[in-house]
Amino acid sequence: MSLATLLEQYGEEYLIALLTTWKLTAIAFSAAFVIGILVTVMRVSPVKPLRVFAEIYVQIFRNISGAALLILLVYALPYLNMMFSYFTCVIIATTLIPSAFCSEYLMSGINTIDVGQIEAARALGLNFTELVRSIVIPQALRSSVIPLTNLLVSTMLTTALASQVPMDPRELTGLVSHINTHAVGGVVAFFVSAFLYCITAVVIGQVGLRIDRRVRILR
Amino acid sequence: MEENIIELKNVEKYFGTLHVLNNINLSVKRGEVVVIIGPSGSGKSTLCRTVNRLETIDSGEIFIDGELMPEEGQELARIRSEVGMVFQSFNLFAHMTILDNVTLAPRTVRKIPKAQAEKEAMELLKRVGIESQAGKVPAQLSGGQQQRAAIARALAMHPKAMLFDEPTSALDPEMINEVLDAMAELARDGMTMMIVTHEMNFARRVADRVIFMDQGQIIEESTPDKFFDAPGTKRARDFLSSIRTQ
Ligand SMILES: Nc1ncnc2c1ncn2[C@@H]1O[C@H](COP(=O)(O)OP(=O)(O)OP(=O)(O)O)[C@@H](O)[C@H]1O
Ligand SMILES: [Mg+2]
Repeated sequence: MSLATLLEQYGEEYLIALLTTWKLTAIAFSAAFVIGILVTVMRVSPVKPLRVFAEIYVQIFRNISGAALLILLVYALPYLNMMFSYFTCVIIATTLIPSAFCSEYLMSGINTIDVGQIEAARALGLNFTELVRSIVIPQALRSSVIPLTNLLVSTMLTTALASQVPMDPRELTGLVSHINTHAVGGVVAFFVSAFLYCITAVVIGQVGLRIDRRVRILR
Repeated sequence: MEENIIELKNVEKYFGTLHVLNNINLSVKRGEVVVIIGPSGSGKSTLCRTVNRLETIDSGEIFIDGELMPEEGQELARIRSEVGMVFQSFNLFAHMTILDNVTLAPRTVRKIPKAQAEKEAMELLKRVGIESQAGKVPAQLSGGQQQRAAIARALAMHPKAMLFDEPTSALDPEMINEVLDAMAELARDGMTMMIVTHEMNFARRVADRVIFMDQGQIIEESTPDKFFDAPGTKRARDFLSSIRTQ
């Protein structure tokens, strides 16, 4: 199939698929970001059970494969009387894994903070919450803009997991599978999706670089 | 009102087998300036950091203005906020402007409204001569300016006492005096101060009392004139002659 006929036949579906990919990515990354911050706060907290819980959380979701997690969510949860839509299952899977990586990046950001600044904050009378909110997390975020940008891109690519379940509407990868099982889209159908992923990634990368330049900590 | 603002009673501390603070009894009266000197590794920094419990101790008691400092918790944070601390390496918050560095603790710990905190901060920055630097981040300032900002940051909490741990040791020689001058002015204004320093002329000029430490112990305690002219112990004499020949 030529590019022209493909776009003529499936153009609108590609547009919907692109928007769906963006939507999945935005929801999953936002949730992963919030969870990542919370888990990171737990990992540096003075409460040992919280630290242990957060450590285990990160180890699990950093090391599980996305497909395995999605299969677990789709096929195992109903046995626990928990039924989620395919969309929700995809969101959960593509949130949990990046949240673990988000925390890892924030932890390495935290490691760049000079311990003297922590002591200075303590000496001024800041408690743990105030210290984390005013010093630790802001500095960790500022020094992890580039890794977090990369995480946003990889979260987007992870949403391709949705192609493994009959989610409606389809996202970019799901659409390619669909086209190739119902028509002979061939490699062209794949290239259109790949192109749309690429363009999005490039834009994200550029925005990330700008943000990094603006918030980077001078030392 | 309690006369002793800082008081340490029978403080003991070990780093493993190293007895870094050996039966320390020490008090600093309201408005008094105490300078601590001693050879490298004698425990001066540890002593200074112990006063607001940045270091844990193995036994003994620490009082600030008559209040026993607890080991942890909100009460510890509150008492800490009443003792200003200035470090050798400035330790300004790298991601904030100088103004935000100074207003952070008043705003978060004391809940002072932003406008008021900033007004006071600008007055303090003016007092230490760096009001024109308020909008910059620490890395854009010279060492001497950073240390004066750190002094302003500590003063913003209206501390009952100020601790200084070698505040000029990390500075280039030409910047030492601007920081010492700011400290001397504080002393003149009646601030209670505990200062670890190697600046002997400054110590002599500003101190009400000199404490000489060696190997975790307070070896000698006297007026600056007496200490520098006629030290009472051999260890102090040896120390003074070693730094004078440098
Ligand atoms: N965190 C630590 N763990 C183990 N030993 C330590 C620690 N901090 C300091 N020490 C040791 O304790 C002793 C006292 O250190 P401290 O920093 O208080 O000395 P100081 O008098 O301030 O020396 P200087 O003039 O070099 O700053 C030194 O022998 C030092 O090596
Ligand atoms: Mg020291």
